[in-house]
Amino acid sequence: MEIRLFQILIPAIGLLFVVTQIARQAKGKVTLRETILVAVFWIAVSAVAIFPDRISNFFAELLGIKDNVNAVLFLGIVTVLYFQFLLYNRYKGQQRQLTKLTRMIALRDAETEESKAS
Amino acid sequence: MNLPDDLHVLLPAYNEGPVIADVIHTLREAGIVHIVVVNDGSDDETGQVARQAGAIVVDHLVNRGAGAAVQTGIELARQENWSYLALMDADGQHVAEDLAKLMANLKEQEADLVIGSRFLASQKGMPRDRKFYNGIANFLTNLLTKKNYSDSQSGLRLLNRKAIEHLDLQVDGFGFCSEMVVLAERAGLKISETPTSVIYTKYSTSKGQDFHVGVRTAFNFLWNTLFK
Repeated sequence: MEIRLFQILIPAIGLLFVVTQIARQAKGKVTLRETILVAVFWIAVSAVAIFPDRISNFFAELLGIKDNVNAVLFLGIVTVLYFQFLLYNRYKGQQRQLTKLTRMIALRDAETEESKAS
Repeated sequence: MNLPDDLHVLLPAYNEGPVIADVIHTLREAGIVHIVVVNDGSDDETGQVARQAGAIVVDHLVNRGAGAAVQTGIELARQENWSYLALMDADGQHVAEDLAKLMANLKEQEADLVIGSRFLASQKGMPRDRKFYNGIANFLTNLLTKKNYSDSQSGLRLLNRKAIEHLDLQVDGFGFCSEMVVLAERAGLKISETPTSVIYTKYSTSKGQDFHVGVRTAFNFLWNTLFK
């Protein structure tokens, strides 16, 4: 099997990310769940980089899509949508935090009829 | 008007500087003593004008939406132990005298939440687009509720102490109208509706629901319902 540059480069980058993520988790900067997610993501990307044809053909057959390139595109779109969902969820969470903070300050500094009269 | 002394009227306001003083004066003339404005990060002089007109003003430092402003009012009511909280739009579209109808209905029906319905009364003067958008929002809300409501989007509402204690709105925007009805049902609160009037002016119709706001409202409400 002829080995191309990206088949070495991508797994190496992935390994770097996974190792640094494990180090961050050891320092308590990220959770175990986040580390597992990062590891699974980079293992999957590395596997596709090392065995592109075998994996894309496997998914094409699994999904009933004739062309393996279409299967890769389909999975790519699904993955992007999933990350979009995660991102929007995080955005909504931050919006809720902002509302809570705004409300907390508003209630803390709220006028009362007594304070207004004095 | 036959209203209890401890009724507080809440006006969630965003950039209502041109009309807020008139709204407060109208309420005062109708005998309302306690008026609270949640100034939702307005860019104009809403807060200052409301203070000068004699209202208690609670300031959101940044704009968070009508639902967030209403929930701040509810939490203030909880904090200050108020017995009744009436919600009114700050653009002057509601009639102060209708508060007595809401209070009478709350007592007669032994309800916890009374909604002032624009669709149980004459809809004369209501713009067609308003009827259309409200109809869609109402239909969607009624899909999620046990009972059918004629005007789930009305901004004129009256809450008793039980409702004040139980309602925790999560939707920041206009979707809070639907959310409040859904949450009230879930909490076992008794909801009632009473016919109320509405004054549509050029100013009030320039605010509130339009197609884009409606789509965004529906999307945010559904998102909050599904992925809370």
